[in-house]
Amino acid sequence: MTAINLAYALAAAVAACLPAIAFAQVRAKADVACRPTPTTLQYDCVITLTNSRTNEPLSDVTLTVGADMPSMPMMHNVRPVKAAPREEPGSYQARLMLEMHGDWMLQLNLSGPLRDRVVTIIRFEPGRATLAAEPEVPSSRKH
Amino acid sequence: MDDYMIGVLSNIGIVSFVALSAYLLLLTGEISFGQQAFFAIGAYAAGIATALWGWPLALALAWGAVSGGGAAVLVGIPTLRLRGLYFSIATLAFAEMVRILFALFRYQVEIDGELVGPNGAEGFRSIRYIFDRNIDAVQFLLLIYSLLVAVLLGFFFLERSRTGVVFRMIGEDETLAGLQGISVARHKVLAAGIAGALAGVGGGLYAHLTTYVEPRIFDVMLGVHSLAYGLIGGLGTALGPLLGVLIDVGLLESIRPLAGYRMIIFGGIVALLLIVRPRGLLDERLVHRIGRLFVRSPPAKTDGRGKPA
Repeated sequence: MTAINLAYALAAAVAACLPAIAFAQVRAKADVACRPTPTTLQYDCVITLTNSRTNEPLSDVTLTVGADMPSMPMMHNVRPVKAAPREEPGSYQARLMLEMHGDWMLQLNLSGPLRDRVVTIIRFEPGRATLAAEPEVPSSRKH
Repeated sequence: MDDYMIGVLSNIGIVSFVALSAYLLLLTGEISFGQQAFFAIGAYAAGIATALWGWPLALALAWGAVSGGGAAVLVGIPTLRLRGLYFSIATLAFAEMVRILFALFRYQVEIDGELVGPNGAEGFRSIRYIFDRNIDAVQFLLLIYSLLVAVLLGFFFLERSRTGVVFRMIGEDETLAGLQGISVARHKVLAAGIAGALAGVGGGLYAHLTTYVEPRIFDVMLGVHSLAYGLIGGLGTALGPLLGVLIDVGLLESIRPLAGYRMIIFGGIVALLLIVRPRGLLDERLVHRIGRLFVRSPPAKTDGRGKPA
């Protein structure tokens, strides 16, 4: 076990020393739409994954959805749920159980033929979920 | 180990960096509400280094540490002359200033037909180093903990060095330390620099773990938590803040039904401990007591006839 861990650490250290521009992989793009279920703080989300360059749907990937709150990073660890593929190509469905209302950073983790992570911010409120509005930027125009 | 456990352990590891950062300043008697600023600077600096400049991760993390540490020294020089509440307010103001600056900071470069880089309040996406290099979650977790162990070893030696003793002396009574001929300002700036660098490394790791950062992440909440971890866990050893992190992220997180009330529970624990154990669970007295269990006191010197010399 220790030998395996050491091998992993060594591999990570070697990988950490390699330049970042060596690979240019396919990148994923995601559209997320969530709606509440009758259970409080439970939401059904439909996620559409596409290739960010070609806009072709990304099917046959394993998708798990995790969530964290940007205002309290690393403090809420919602157990990642595996999204089920829907009939439409590149479309997946996941049921999320959150801990409170507010803005959540959904982490869409893709594995399988394509490994990637897409982050999208959704505002979950009682009875609805919307794409989170951009945070306010201080501007002289507001004075 | 499943994804959830890897995620929780990764978070515990990364939060520990910023908790240790706040702990180091607590040793010198300073309460900083602004360590999240150096975490943010490290996150953006390291993210820019890999995503935009194509640097290797190791160099990017070092750059994050240098940026965080450098910023902390620059802030430390004028602010560490302030004392108590004034210093705390100054750090909080600086952290808010940094957060708002990142909300205005735009620096994007087209890579593979896609604009990558910090985009103000919309955040900084596509810090995809670990995906481009095919580093899996377990490997990254081991990288986090390897660095954390290195930092803890650093603390182990620091606290046994003259500099570490001086930090604690300043924390006890900086006027008295100054009267002993110690350069209080220089040591405080040194502590601030190391603390900033630690937070910077944590930020760099966080940016690469999540692949995304935005100014809201570096809110005062992160700073208050990192400070509280040292106060809960204890100021007697560098393991204290880690215990604080484990209590908050680990224990409270593991009790799912309480997760929604964690801020209330967390606040209650902090308030209670500040009354009952003001220096935290692993305070200096307990650490000394535990240490004596492992280190035998030297035998008393005798004059050869069994009597004390």
